[in-house]
Amino acid sequence: MRLEKCWFCSSTVYPGHGIQFVRNDAKIFRFCRSKCHKNFKMKRNPRKVKWTKAYRRLHGKDMTQDSTFEFERKRNRPERYDRNLTENTLAAIKKIDKVRVDRESRHHAKRMKPKKAQLQREAARELEQSISMVKAPGALQRDPSLTLPIKVKVSKPEKVDNRMEE
Amino acid sequence: MAASNSSKLFRVGRSILGSLSNNALGTSRSSSQFADMDFLSQQTRTFIQMRTNLKVVDNSGAKRVMCIQALKGKKGARLGDVIVASVKEAHVGGKVKKGDVHYAVVVRAAMPRGRCDGSEVKFDDNAVVLINKQGEPIGTRVFGPVPHELRKKKHLKILSLAEQIA
Repeated sequence: MRLEKCWFCSSTVYPGHGIQFVRNDAKIFRFCRSKCHKNFKMKRNPRKVKWTKAYRRLHGKDMTQDSTFEFERKRNRPERYDRNLTENTLAAIKKIDKVRVDRESRHHAKRMKPKKAQLQREAARELEQSISMVKAPGALQRDPSLTLPIKVKVSKPEKVDNRMEE
Repeated sequence: MAASNSSKLFRVGRSILGSLSNNALGTSRSSSQFADMDFLSQQTRTFIQMRTNLKVVDNSGAKRVMCIQALKGKKGARLGDVIVASVKEAHVGGKVKKGDVHYAVVVRAAMPRGRCDGSEVKFDDNAVVLINKQGEPIGTRVFGPVPHELRKKKHLKILSLAEQIA
């Protein structure tokens, strides 16, 4: 039993799923579901179709190079059955998956970081411009909690003259 | 006189208008027909039956062959089945001549065939290898990929001659 990758979207094809198309030059295309199969028949390039892994890797949305991917490479030599090896492999698969998911989420966070500052700036601007649609300008003056704190320069008044007059 | 003239013109005008509207309807119907055909252009591939033209992929001398009878199967032959075929086109000076009737085994079929693990395989075209009554191939070479299904049907010689087993 072998878990294959879908040619179009790169998701795993489990046994019992999907269609295999063998072209006359003996190249085999495996598809996980009819969505991918139909896109292939329409001659769409997976590198241009937004939801495929090929597009995401190409455009830097997902990790491209990582040592966890080395564990998933295709091996064609069958291993002699060894119970210890099988148990260790099963435990390792879980751990490697966890590591990979952690790294992917970190990659995603790094990608999204500059967005936060931009969102803050946009929100401040929107508050300044459109708050009048929500609250009347008079209410804003009476209740200062609705506006953002404004830094105002205050000059010191001169009290010396008054004392002199008295 | 004037009234009759006007009535004639009216009738003529009406007929012209009628033909114009008929034309408009005709064009709109054909355009919708084309839209339907685009939607239905995802073909449903079916069995190999009488009068099916097939490609010959061995060096027996025949090029194209027409199925006369699908042995086994009420609806027709599928991938891996044996058929009786008549040679329609042959190479000059091959073992087989035009008009000969032979047995043949289907090695590539455009119709998807279910595998025992639940997935489906399909090929790009319909192709046969000519065999004799005992099941041995007439030619000495087989071109293109062949499926695993031949192993179960006991066409082991063809499998051994094949370049690639899909």
